[in-house]
Amino acid sequence: MTDATANAAPAAGRRTSKSIIETDANTRKRNAAEARFRYYGMAAIGVGLFFLCALTFSILRSGLPAFTETAVTVDFTLSQEQFDEAEGQVLKTAAYEGFFVRELQAELNEEGASDVEVSEAAVGRIMGKVGSQIREFYRANPDRLGEEVSFTLPASSRVDRYLNGNLSREQLTNSRFLEPDDLDIVDGLVESGVMVNAFDWGFITGTDSGVDNPGGAGLGASIMGSFFMMLVVLVLALPIGVAASIYLEEFAPQNKFTDLIEINISNLAAVPSIVFGILGLAVFIQFAHLPQSAPLVGGLVLTLMTLPTIIISTRASLKSVPPSIRAAALGVGASKMQSVFHHVLPLAMPGILTGTIIGLAQALGETAPLLLIGMVGYVARQHPDGLASGLLDPNSAMPAQIYTWAARSDPAFYEKAWGGIIILLVFLLFMNAIAIILRRRFERRW
Amino acid sequence: MYDADHNRTESRVSQNEIKISSRNVQVYYGDNHAIKDVDVDIEDRLVTAFIGPSGCGKSTFLRCLNRMNDTIPICRVEGDIHIDGEDIYDKRVDPVQLRAKVGMVFQKPNPFPKSIYDNVAYGPKIHGLAKNKSELDDIVERALKRAAIWDEVKDRLDASGTGLSGGQQQRLCIARAVATEPEVLLMDEPCSALDPIATGQVEELIDELKQNYSVVIVTHSMQQAARVSQKTAFFHLGNLVEYGETEKIFTNPQDSRTESYITGRIG
Repeated sequence: MTDATANAAPAAGRRTSKSIIETDANTRKRNAAEARFRYYGMAAIGVGLFFLCALTFSILRSGLPAFTETAVTVDFTLSQEQFDEAEGQVLKTAAYEGFFVRELQAELNEEGASDVEVSEAAVGRIMGKVGSQIREFYRANPDRLGEEVSFTLPASSRVDRYLNGNLSREQLTNSRFLEPDDLDIVDGLVESGVMVNAFDWGFITGTDSGVDNPGGAGLGASIMGSFFMMLVVLVLALPIGVAASIYLEEFAPQNKFTDLIEINISNLAAVPSIVFGILGLAVFIQFAHLPQSAPLVGGLVLTLMTLPTIIISTRASLKSVPPSIRAAALGVGASKMQSVFHHVLPLAMPGILTGTIIGLAQALGETAPLLLIGMVGYVARQHPDGLASGLLDPNSAMPAQIYTWAARSDPAFYEKAWGGIIILLVFLLFMNAIAIILRRRFERRW
Repeated sequence: MYDADHNRTESRVSQNEIKISSRNVQVYYGDNHAIKDVDVDIEDRLVTAFIGPSGCGKSTFLRCLNRMNDTIPICRVEGDIHIDGEDIYDKRVDPVQLRAKVGMVFQKPNPFPKSIYDNVAYGPKIHGLAKNKSELDDIVERALKRAAIWDEVKDRLDASGTGLSGGQQQRLCIARAVATEPEVLLMDEPCSALDPIATGQVEELIDELKQNYSVVIVTHSMQQAARVSQKTAFFHLGNLVEYGETEKIFTNPQDSRTESYITGRIG
């Protein structure tokens, strides 16, 4: 470029021209840097995808067995005399267990597996408390005495884990819960088709069980707990948050005080959730004397937590509505409020809803604040009965229930915790999908 | 208007009635004195053009006439602006009512992201101009016809206003402005975002609108001012330098600054 000699006539244009087909060193260096950057990016995404796959795989592997249940189905006919006889004994449930074992053996013989011999002790280990379950049924439905009733009774969690391949014979030495000989009986029951491993709706709809019965534990009651909490959050946080943002964005004067409010809202969004938990404990439970472990209190705490998120996203979407729309509305003589409610708010709605759903999803997975208001550790033993009971009766929430299960010693509960995580993730994915659909549906139209 | 100490000349020979009169108007943006001592009488049923270089205050002054500057918190207006003898900055005046009387068309076409029908019907609806649906239909049709866009959109009144071409959008905005039956129509560079053909259509429309309204148009194009307006006001650095018949301003300006501007030496 600069090697044009002094005696070269400028009019002749004797500047040495470089070929654009040959790449020069500078360009090569730049291209290499660009290529490197692309590889870095791909590597970063690759690492992310790998961990995502690993996480999904491990969650599914550990959690899916929680959705199946091993159960024994036995057709049972109990006469009035047998019922009276059993009720007359001192160990009543043992008597029912005797009936059950007899029927089970009969069933086995019928299926051509008479070589499998069941004893009351073995059934007690394999099946748990079958006697009391049968007794409860007949005491509740005395009219069914004398007819054939089909009982589907769950096997113990260890049998579950054995059939799912998570428990080997070698691990069974010295176990008073399950003996190696019992496994032969289990194999026999499975072969004859009396024992079936099937999808367990009880895990999704049921209630939590005691520590000694992991197989019967379900997430249903805590799903309802979470649902009622989300209801409280939605009913409180959405109107308050949207009203606050509209005022701040459209009506409030710009001064030191509103600046201060703005900074505080941004800061609140970053406050650790456990701080909201302790605030909820102090204000709602100790000061306002609302019931402990109630979804109402959980919902109030999560509302406080979600409000900043909703306010920030609502303000952002109000800001993104072009000022020309406001000017147009004012220009035809709309009042400030009419211009906001007729024009600005409808255009900002998809953004507001997206922000709200993301905020709700965040609140749904929140565990720490629930720790402090007593929703973690509570065993949800019954479904809420109606709106008032759903809000005020003690309950657990999904993440709290998962935490409770994970903290229990029985490895079968560990499995349930993973299963609970799957359900929680399905809910979160569902909510995020709704947010994405809303955003796509109502893309900005100007 | 006739005070001699102003560096401004006046040449008015008109029979029309005065619609808007401003006296001693000052506008401040914070500490910035944007409009200085503007006295102007805008007549009814003709087109008045505001010309001047960028930042000279012509749009600011236009926005004073329907109090759109109220929406800017740091903006302060002093002086008197009367429409039909009523002070628009009187404390009792509701700017919403004023804006129904003084319609506005903006620089960039800004139809609402709603149907063409809803765009035009919105103003009449909020002002309660129609008692029922058929009256509203009539108002919409009349406004669209007045804005010379009826034939192009009558078959698709349910289509979105934002789907129209730029020129059509601007005429839709004009229809929206005239639908509320204003008496004054303010236009802030209505053609600056339009191509020459659409500009021609809008200018033709402005010429027709002056039969019913007092039209005030801000424009950067001197040719446009010459084509559409009967009176022209030249603003420079916040001052109203010269105001008079358009023909005179362009052929025989009294002020040297006006002459410099229209001959292209400043601005």
